Amino acid sequence: MIDTPEKDPLVENIPPLQSMPMALECYGLSKRFKTIQALDDVSLQVPTGSIFGFLGPNGAGKSTLIRIVAGLIRADAGNFNILGRSSYSGHKVRQEMSTLVDRADFYKNLSASQNMKILGRLTGHDQDDHINELLQLLGLYERRKDKVKTFSQGMKQRLGLAQALLPNPRLLVLDEPTTGLDPQGMHEIRDFILKIAREQQVTIFLSSHLLHEVELICSDIALIFNGKLAAQGSLSTIFQKMENVTVELEVEHSELAIKFLAGIDLVSDIKVLANAISIEIIYSNIPELIHRMSTHNINIFSISQRNRLEHYFLSLMEQK
Amino acid sequence: MILLKLTQNELYKIFSLVRSYIGIMLFTVIVPLILWGYGMGTSHIQGQIENAVSEMFFIEGSPTNGYTAAYFIMNFFWVHIPFLIALVGGDIFAGEQANGTFRIYATRPISRLSIFISKTLATMIYTLIFVLYFGLLTLGLGLIWHGGGDMLVFHEGVLILESGDAASRFLFAYGFSFMNMALVSSIAIFFSVMVRNAVGPVIGTMAVIIFFLMVSTLPLDVFRNIQPYLFTTYFSNWEQVFYDPIPWGDLFRGFGLIFSNIIFFLGVAYLIFSRRDILS
Repeated sequence: MIDTPEKDPLVENIPPLQSMPMALECYGLSKRFKTIQALDDVSLQVPTGSIFGFLGPNGAGKSTLIRIVAGLIRADAGNFNILGRSSYSGHKVRQEMSTLVDRADFYKNLSASQNMKILGRLTGHDQDDHINELLQLLGLYERRKDKVKTFSQGMKQRLGLAQALLPNPRLLVLDEPTTGLDPQGMHEIRDFILKIAREQQVTIFLSSHLLHEVELICSDIALIFNGKLAAQGSLSTIFQKMENVTVELEVEHSELAIKFLAGIDLVSDIKVLANAISIEIIYSNIPELIHRMSTHNINIFSISQRNRLEHYFLSLMEQK
Repeated sequence: MILLKLTQNELYKIFSLVRSYIGIMLFTVIVPLILWGYGMGTSHIQGQIENAVSEMFFIEGSPTNGYTAAYFIMNFFWVHIPFLIALVGGDIFAGEQANGTFRIYATRPISRLSIFISKTLATMIYTLIFVLYFGLLTLGLGLIWHGGGDMLVFHEGVLILESGDAASRFLFAYGFSFMNMALVSSIAIFFSVMVRNAVGPVIGTMAVIIFFLMVSTLPLDVFRNIQPYLFTTYFSNWEQVFYDPIPWGDLFRGFGLIFSNIIFFLGVAYLIFSRRDILS
């Protein structure tokens, strides 16, 4: 059995929805900043209901694409649809979309409630009950009357999520939402994203360069390098296509296990770790390995794949 | 409806900033101070005026009354007010860019035109409130402190305006002053859409005004031909409403030029704003 111990159980509640209509579709988006080609003919599809991870190293073009979709910058070429509305319809394309681009910044001299009121008025969602409900959801209700300048970065990010939910969006676009947060803050934001996806039925498009973070919460991904799309699809499909994976085994008699593993042709790159053995193996051979080990009376306590996405990401980068 | 809500938002933001009250607080302190000083230092002037004109005219009330005080204060401050007005106009776009709040505001399903109009409207409403407050403070407090009466205007001799006539002329004077200050706000908005800090637009606005003021007042032949086309030539046009007869033709020519400058600066500002990539 392959376990993914760090994966949040909430993820399992979000089914892959490849057959459903697209929440976001981009066609041939290009953008150039002076000498830098930030985006080069990028086309991607975000299935409705998914938590979609948009991955790439710093400067790959993630924020540029998000800013185009959010209406902050203009594309040199290409177009996009949001929940069936074309970008040719101007600002109305964002009718059912909400965004948190980069770090959440607010009117610092105003309270959390006043900021929410101002932003709610823009779309007619400034009812006190609605605002309080969202502040409650994001754990900020008790601090609603405090000025935002007294908030930590984590609290501002949560307020950023709360404001993004004000218009009851069907698509939520988040650009590096955990940037600048400590591990606890990152964990909180991840939990909120999952909670929102589950409870509010929102499609989430999330950009990040933190592969581990994406692997924990996303159902679908796209990878971008130097402004060009390198891959996209559901995480499960991508992992199934991966030939070699790194696997960690916890066994009863490690010396016996190492001797056994060294003698078979299924595995390579055997490393002895502090409490486990790391091996490289072709993904489809894992059941055969488990079978052979148990027939040789080697008791396996756990077998886990680690950093699958990182493995995939690095192999793609090498190809580029 | 959305424009109304957006403008309401912008006014809320403007009046939540301390800088919006700097000018108001300054005048709240300085105008009573001047009116007090005016009362203290005009007794000998009053005597001289009364001696000089009493044989020709009968002056109702004191010649150094609230109207004359308000006229005197307006003459003194019309160069300083633009700086205080530009503090708000200069911040209206640049402040949001600097704080990063545009990232949230501009991603909502609202057109850039609506955002621009609402911010411009809010700035103009602030400018109007500022001018009205200044007017109420100078004229209202002046009349309470120094009383009413006929107003003396020194223009090509001495002109005496009856109390009721003076009051209505002040209304026109504040109206023309508002137009001039609306132009200052438009220039501040023009600079505000171009930069990402609020100090630049204030300095830029003042630099433009000072430069054009110099060109429009320098008595050099080389500048004389262009002076009628410079908005600063008409910055003190409010004074003309106290002339007799009122030169309506000149006033409306100046009004037209100021208005066309407002349209020009706001038009260019919108073109820049509508095409601008928001990267901060």
